Parts: sequence; structure tokens; C-alpha cells
Amino acid sequence: MKLDVNALGTFYRMAREGAGLAAGRLTHMTDVETRAGVTKLNFMRGREIRRDFEDSTSKVGVRVELTGAIEGYSVIVFERENALRIVESLLEESATDSDLSDEAGELDEFNEMTRSAATEVGNIMNNGFIDGWADVLETVIDVSTPEFVEGRSADTFFDEVEKAPAGDDLALLFQSQIETVETQVGFSHYLFPERESMAALLDRLRTSGGIEYDKLDGFDRMAERGAEEVAKTATTLTGIDTSVEIRRLNFVSLETIPEQVPDERLVGVAFEFDGVPSGYLLFLFDEESANEIVDAMVPTGAGDTEETDGFGQMGQSAIQELGNIMASGFLDGWANVLDTTIDHSTPEFIHDIGAAAVDPVVIQLGEDQEFAFVFDTVIVAAGREFDCEVYAIPDESDLERALNDLDVDRIEEEPTTAEFQNVTGTGTDGGAGTGTDTDTDT
Amino acid sequence: MKTYGTEPGAPTSVQVGISELTVSDGDDTLKSYGLGSCVAIALYDPETEIGGLAHTMLPDGDEAENSDRKPGKYADTAIRALLRRMVERGASYTTVEAKLAGGSDMFEFDSFGDGVGKRNIDAAKAELEKLGVPLVASDLGGDRGRTVEFTPETGTLLVKSSDENGDQGVTEL
Repeated sequence: MKLDVNALGTFYRMAREGAGLAAGRLTHMTDVETRAGVTKLNFMRGREIRRDFEDSTSKVGVRVELTGAIEGYSVIVFERENALRIVESLLEESATDSDLSDEAGELDEFNEMTRSAATEVGNIMNNGFIDGWADVLETVIDVSTPEFVEGRSADTFFDEVEKAPAGDDLALLFQSQIETVETQVGFSHYLFPERESMAALLDRLRTSGGIEYDKLDGFDRMAERGAEEVAKTATTLTGIDTSVEIRRLNFVSLETIPEQVPDERLVGVAFEFDGVPSGYLLFLFDEESANEIVDAMVPTGAGDTEETDGFGQMGQSAIQELGNIMASGFLDGWANVLDTTIDHSTPEFIHDIGAAAVDPVVIQLGEDQEFAFVFDTVIVAAGREFDCEVYAIPDESDLERALNDLDVDRIEEEPTTAEFQNVTGTGTDGGAGTGTDTDTDT
Repeated sequence: MKTYGTEPGAPTSVQVGISELTVSDGDDTLKSYGLGSCVAIALYDPETEIGGLAHTMLPDGDEAENSDRKPGKYADTAIRALLRRMVERGASYTTVEAKLAGGSDMFEFDSFGDGVGKRNIDAAKAELEKLGVPLVASDLGGDRGRTVEFTPETGTLLVKSSDENGDQGVTEL
């Protein structure tokens, strides 16, 4: 299976088109104003999809099987509470007399009627997406009857899905958000295409030689190690026990990237890197986490006299130093496997609204490309404030070149500097599982 | 996930995302969050109270293939698209005025050359001049991010920015 930017770009447009149609139909059906939020093509491993999904809220989903131009599964997922709320408002309108909850009793369980209403909502949205894709692909996609799924764990939603990606498989996943404008209810949509059908589509849409999927997979495996390495570095430097919470490779249109960053003031360190590939690397912390890091890294007393949230000279250098070492760890891993040198600039400190920190990079890349691969990682600490978002955004043509030169066998041979001490508990708790170095060197 | 203007009693607020443009009138507010090197272009006609806001990201759309599909992405095509849509709505071309905000350069990377923000500012100014639209106010450049709110009725462009200490500053243009 080979892919190229043109084919992925078509997929991306298809997903956006689908999200727009689904949002429109939801509005039509419920009279609630909605809009399509962020759409992403994610390359994620099965276990990461499951980890990402399991945020301990109860969910309901409506799942259909697709055949024809795309084979696979399409699933609309909403938080259970939101689903109930939507269904409630729908049924209130249609219930002419006293069919159901007219005595102000809020629904808290799905009964036969609410269940079928929820299924209907989900199905209409699924069909919106699918019609959008069929339009872009100018083809026919057949849809099975919808299936209602309710539960908390990812297993309920994905395990019955035939050919759902296994733990280590890198799957291409389409994710879109639909948001209601007034009530802030979000829906997620997942499409799990089957590999063979995806390969056939990619072949049809490809306009260049393309990149071997196995190479992308290999590169991503290496990035996975880079992320572990970053978490480990952060733990060593700050004494805060951190781990990788989310990690994925996104393919998005450039302007989506600033939209994903939280709408609040963030503290960050940015780098440009040069080599094959070249690109930009950003580490972004929320203010509380940054404060925590400064407290951990700067000897007590020395930094305290500065304005507490101004990140004075000491604070800035501490964060820059951390960023610098994390950047080296991240990029050295890439360079080793690619058997090349990747240099990075000195760190640039930033303390500003999140999107503003990201848009200069997006603009610079935007001179030559419309889409970007983003290596997106979230590092967290159990029980403490340490939220770090890492964005590595390579220049697209350089990345393609680097991938084509990549010798997949090298990946296994290259020593991984990250140690996995405690991998037995995977899947039992959503997150903080690996690399529990207790350190004393701060 | 983003949240939208839902404060009770607030006038309708439309979010203009990166590469988007919106034309409206009256006391609607058009908002763009977190402009770094992007440039917000606000055009309005004081007589008809019709105005629009674009959140542009790149200077030159005439060179790009997709500027038909995304006119709001580029400073030059965004200005023309805003003008066209405003005139279609009843604005008078000759009385339209412009305000600009954004175009910071927060990073000094080698690859950025003279600065990505500066390129956007230059392009926006050049296009306004070419079309004879007077630039009546601006808050441009520097190294801080900005959030802008534009009200077509009054032509007011509020620019919020924060300094290194986190103190919010609001400039009214």
C-alpha cells in the first residue's frame, strides 16, 4: 500500500465534506445550530485508539458497516449524557401528547423509544458523512442497518468491528467533530476503513510515486520511541513522573493546526530543525504546568521573587533548557534511524495565546504546502500538573524524501534509549504505565 | 474543543477561523482568536454599517491554486472577496475603509527570512492601496499574539493582547 499527499488530501476533503453534511442534517433534524469542528486523518495504533477513546465517560454509538468503494465501519460516538439530551429534545417536539417524559422527569436510561431515536440521529449523521465521501469519490457506498452500542470501554465499540486495528497495527482513522453552537455538545465520528479497500482507493487517487505505508509505519514507530524519550527526559529533569498519554500521526490541512491548540495562554518552546527532514518542533505547556516545572527546576527562593506568572529570566531559561533537551532527544531518534543529521535551532521561548504560538510555523510551511503531517504527542504526569503538547511538523517534501530513504529494518536495529520497565499493566489503566524512574537528581 | 460565544444576553458573535472570512452588518461581532503572524483584515462601510472580517494566513493568493476555494486564506484575495461580498450586500465601494491587526513575528528562525508576519502585513497594505481602500487604523507587528473583535455597525476593531506578565491590554481601533 502506497500513499501520497494528493490522495490523502482527497481523503481529507472527503472527511470535511462528510462532516459538513452530517452537521447540516443534524441541524435540519433538531433545529439546533451546529457546525463541523476539526477534521483529522489520524494514523494511530490500535492500542492508542483505545487509550484515546477511554476517557472514563459513558458513551453511546451508532455503528454501520460499509461496502462498496469504501469497506469498513463508520461509527458516530456521543457522550451518553449528550445523546440523552438530544433525544429528549427531539422527542419533546414530536410527542404531541403525553407519550413520555412530560412530567419534567429527565431521562436517565435509554428505553426502547429513546434508543431508537438515538439510533436514528446517529444513522442520519453517519449517512451524512458517507454521502459526503461518495460525492467526493463520485462513487457508491452501501451502508448496513445501524447498530446501537452503549458502554464505557473501547472494547464495546471496536472489538466487534471485524478487522478493527489490533494493538500494534497502524490504522488510518478519520475523525471529525460536530459541535452544537449553543449547547456545546460534541460528537465524534470514526471511520475504520479496511486496509485492502483503502489501498485500492489510494492507488486510484495517487498522482505521484508515493510513500510506502510500511515506511510511514516504521517512521511512526520511531516517533513513538522519540515520544517515550521525551517523557523520560522530562521526568529526569523535573523530577515529575511523566508519561506519554496520547500519541498519533495526523494528516491535516495546515490551518487546522492552530485551531487544535487550546484557546488560552500557553508557555512554550519552539525550534526549527534542519536536515532531511526539516521542519518545526513545538513544546507547549499550560501556565500551571509551566509554573510547576519552574518550581521543580529552579532552586527554591531563586525564582520566587519574580512576578509569579511572568516567568522571569530564571523561569524562561529553565523551560528553554527543558525544551532543548527534549528536542534533542526527539530529533536524535529520528536522525539515528534515518542515518542522517538533523540540527535544531536554539530554543525560542513563547508565552502567549496558544494559536498565536503555532500560526507563524503554519504560515511558513503554508508557502509551499497545503497539508502537513503532524506528530502529535501529549505528555502528562499522574496526580500533578504537567501537560505538555508536542507538535513536530516536518516539511512535507523533505518528509517524503526521508521516508523514501528509510530502511525499515534499521528501526529494529537502532538501540532504543527509552527503557520500558513496567509494561505488564497495559490496557488496565488508561495512561501512566511505563517508565517509572524514581529519580533524585534535581 | 472550542467553545463559542454563549454568554447570556451577548449579541450574536461569529467566530472567524483561520483562512475564513465573514461579512455581516449591525451589532454582530466577528471574532478571530489567537492571531500570531496571521493578519486580521476588517473592512466596513460606515454609511451602510456593512462590514467583514478576514483571518488571513498568507500574502499571495494570486500565485496559489486554491485561492478560489479559500479566498480568506490570502491577504490579497481576502480583501477582494470581502469587498465583493459587502458590495453585493449593499455597501458602497467608495466609502469602504480598512483596519488591520496582527502580523507579529514571534520567532527569529532562519527559515523565516524577514519574518512571516511582515510579509502578510506588506501584502495586505499593498492590496488595499491598489484598490484605493483607505487604511484608517492598524495595530501591526511586534512579537505578541492578538485576539480581535470587530463590530460592523460602529466599525470598531477591538484588539486584545497580553504582555509577558499576562496583563491584558485592549486597544480600540
